[in-house]
Amino acid sequence: MIKIQLVDDEPNILNALKRLLRPHGWEIHAFDNVEAALGGLMEHNYAVIISDYQMPTVDGVTYLQFAKQRQPNAMRLVLSAYGDRNSMIKAINQAEVYRYLSKPWDDYEVVAAIQSAIDIYQLKSENQRLLDEVHAQRQMIRAREQELLRLEKDNPGITRVQRDVDGSVLIGDQ
Amino acid sequence: MSDINARPSEQERLNARLEQANRQLLQSEKLAAIGQLAAGVAHEINNPVGYVYSNLQSLGTYLEDLFRLTDAVGGGASLDDLSAIKKNIDYSFLKDDLKDLLAESREGIERVKTIISAMKDFSYIEDEEFKPADLHRGIETTLNVVNNELKYKATVVREFGDLPEVECISSQINQVVMNLLVNAAHAIDDFGEIIIRTRCHCNWAIVEVEDNGKGIAEENLHRIFEPFFTTKPVGKGTGLGLSLSFNIVQKHNGNITAEQASSGKGTCFRISLPVKQPEASADNEQG
Repeated sequence: MIKIQLVDDEPNILNALKRLLRPHGWEIHAFDNVEAALGGLMEHNYAVIISDYQMPTVDGVTYLQFAKQRQPNAMRLVLSAYGDRNSMIKAINQAEVYRYLSKPWDDYEVVAAIQSAIDIYQLKSENQRLLDEVHAQRQMIRAREQELLRLEKDNPGITRVQRDVDGSVLIGDQ
Repeated sequence: MSDINARPSEQERLNARLEQANRQLLQSEKLAAIGQLAAGVAHEINNPVGYVYSNLQSLGTYLEDLFRLTDAVGGGASLDDLSAIKKNIDYSFLKDDLKDLLAESREGIERVKTIISAMKDFSYIEDEEFKPADLHRGIETTLNVVNNELKYKATVVREFGDLPEVECISSQINQVVMNLLVNAAHAIDDFGEIIIRTRCHCNWAIVEVEDNGKGIAEENLHRIFEPFFTTKPVGKGTGLGLSLSFNIVQKHNGNITAEQASSGKGTCFRISLPVKQPEASADNEQG
């Protein structure tokens, strides 16, 4: 199940976003304060985290920086009513956000951004999974090789099977 | 003698020009202040516009769903089909959520309306006439305009006493209050508290704006009302706010003072205004 975290100090924004995202079947976790959102990071793995920029106590970029440390694979997006250059530069350079969206937003724009963020997240996760699998298989191969080496050392020649021209297995000394 | 008698007209002319220059300065300082607030106001408006706009788009999809149901009713679909459609479009959710959607959107539009009308009240260029005005209303209007500047910096506490209507040029008093509020917010580093107190004392209306920010250094305290004196970084202040506030209050025959806040941290600005202007009350007695 794809989980998406929304953080905005304005509950009405969260409700509007929940309405917008409901038909897409993602699990939406909405938080109207950063402290609770941090709690959410401890309990769930998110595919996408969307944060407001200007919030009391902590700004969105600082929050996303923290989220990046906790869940580096989660895609980070900013949805802000405050489109000044400084906040954008901070968002890109410090929080490495995937998209910077502005309020008011067009619904299809937000959905498309989330959808492509999810695609990348899944690609990353799949990549990670395959990498893990390769590691596991390499481990297995290495264990087998070692076993073979051990056998060969104890009983030289045991790991080599000799066949004659018909393909029959030859046992014993020639 | 004739020379001296000839002078007054020249002097009057100069006085009038000075007066006009002062008025222009006042107006442009007000517009500059609003300009500085504009980014904040845009944020304040973009938030409600953002969710109202999105809600309208959601409302569109809700309506499409509902029309599917009503069209089916019109088309004489069977009861089973109807309940299948109802289930398919999550009818009970739509029904509940529609109410919330509309209530929230209305709230958003009302917020935009409040901000716009506060801005209008605020930037209104009226004839400079003393009129009895409700200071509390002016303070609320001003708070609406600067809300965005304040809400991430401080909680605003209102300790309003009973105030009679005060004879003043309300737009100018609003400007003074705005200056004090923005200064208070700028003085706060992280998150603090701004207290607005009002009371009436012997026919004087007193408004206090107190913050628990970093305070004003002793050596600067006597300079803050000087024109162009500012400790703010370039671009954040014109250095004219308090000096013009001082002029405005003086014109109202009142006074404005700054001192260390009673809590020991931060600054408290006090404006005292006579409830009735001296000349005006003399006029009233004559009339």
